[in-house]
Order: sequence, then C-alpha cells, then structure tokens
Amino acid sequence: MTSHDITVGGYLAVVAAGVILEVAATRTKAPVPSLGDVLTRIMRTRTGRVGVLVAWAWLGLHFFSQ
Amino acid sequence: MPGIRQPIVIVLLLIAFFSAISGKPLDGLLMLLIAAGLAWDAARAGSREAAAAPPGGAGSLPQPGLPAAVLAGPPEPAPPPGPAGRRHRSGWRTAGAALAWAAAGIGYAVVVGSFARFSWPATMAVVGLATLVIVIGWQGPVHPRPDPGPLPKPGLALWGGVLLAGGLWELLALAQQPGLDVTSLAHPTLSALTDPVLASHSGRSLALAAWLLVGGYLVRR
Repeated sequence: MTSHDITVGGYLAVVAAGVILEVAATRTKAPVPSLGDVLTRIMRTRTGRVGVLVAWAWLGLHFFSQ
Repeated sequence: MPGIRQPIVIVLLLIAFFSAISGKPLDGLLMLLIAAGLAWDAARAGSREAAAAPPGGAGSLPQPGLPAAVLAGPPEPAPPPGPAGRRHRSGWRTAGAALAWAAAGIGYAVVVGSFARFSWPATMAVVGLATLVIVIGWQGPVHPRPDPGPLPKPGLALWGGVLLAGGLWELLALAQQPGLDVTSLAHPTLSALTDPVLASHSGRSLALAAWLLVGGYLVRR
C-alpha cells in the first residue's frame, strides 16, 4: 500500500464516518442528530448562518475563481 | 468595536489575510467585507440589547418577513386550503417554478463550466453567485424550519470530530507537499485529487451543479 493509497483511504474513512453518523441519526434511536438538524441549529443565528454560507462560497471560490 | 471579537469574524479575517497573500485578492476582499458586515451587525445588536433586551438574543434571525426565494430552488408546497381546482393550479405553479429553477441551475453549470478554471469569467460568475446567496442568507432562511431544539451533545461531538478529522487529514497532506502550491502524488490534498475531474468541461459542470444544489439547500434552512 502506497502513501497515496493511505492518504486517499483517510479521506474515504472520513466520508464513511459521516455516512455512518447520518444513517445512525435517521435509522436508529442513537443520540446522534442528523446533519440537517445540526445545520439548522447552527444556522439559527446570523453569525452561524453566514459562517456556513461563507464556507460553501469559499469552496466555489477555491476551486474556480482567481 | 465589540463585534470584531466574535470568533467567526476573527476566522473570516484570517481567511481574508491568507487568501490575499496567497494570490487570491478577490476572495480576500469578499471575506473581509463579510467579516466587516458581521462585526458591524454584532456591534449594532449589542447596542440594541443594551437599550432593551429583545427575546431571542443577539444575532437571532428574524423569521418572518423573509426575502423572496431568489436562487433558493423550488418553493415548498404550502398547505392548500380551498377548492381542489386552486390546489391543482398551485401544484402546476410549483412544478413550473421547480422546472424553471432546475433549468436555470443546469444552464449556469453548463455555461460557467465551459470557462477555464481561475479565468476572469469563471471568477465573476462564482463570486457573483456566492455574494448573492450570502446576501439572501443574511436576511434569514427563505423557508424557515422548526427549531430542532437542543441537540444531544455526544452526537454533536461526533459530527465535530468527523469535521475536525477531515480538516486535519487535509492539513497533514498539505504539510507533506513539496511546497504550498506544488501538489504531491504521494500525499494528495482534496484539491489535487479533484484537479483531473475539474480539467474537463463536463467535470466542471457537474461540480458546479453539486455546488449549486448544496447552496440552494443551505439558503433554505
């Protein structure tokens, strides 16, 4: 296994952990909120709301803008 | 100015600084403007609170009187009291609006995806849309949702852990590159992994469509 594989495996593990948490939140009675609930809660305040939207905007700027 | 001490404002100022020194002055300027706006807003809310404590606390979003659903995707169907004919017409209107939004989104993704990455046309299109969505989001959710209430702390900690792990893993890969702007095959960052996908028109259009969908989802929350 190369360093490249390990690095990519790390990203996949993070994504898999997120999927597992979402499944646990929506399909079981585990005390885990869904990602949607977490976002709704964070976005109740203006600073939280703008912070999340800026993170989204930054992704577009990072990958496409000068 | 007390608003400048808000953690989000400090984070945005840091992003603005590092964006500017890494050759992305427009990104830096946008982040700086948003940081200044939030600091001013927090300071204003603080002085209002000092005069009279409103329910909901500083920075709470006004839920009623939200702006029109510009760029927010198709409106959710409202509860339809009244004759069946009106319900039917309302359903058609909703479907028509959804189709119009989908067509606009696909058009945007196809046209902007045809521009080269980091070109001025791509920059203008992405910065313009990002600014518009943030301005809309500033007013409050386009379709307010019920407050889920206090969330279980262990679950929140798990989500925070996943986010932190992703960030640290990316940082680790970035630190192992030969240079900040020299990608490494052995330790690729997410940007390096997505470069081959974003090299083609179709890849860029798909990525932009996904970005639009996420933005539409967030601005409605």
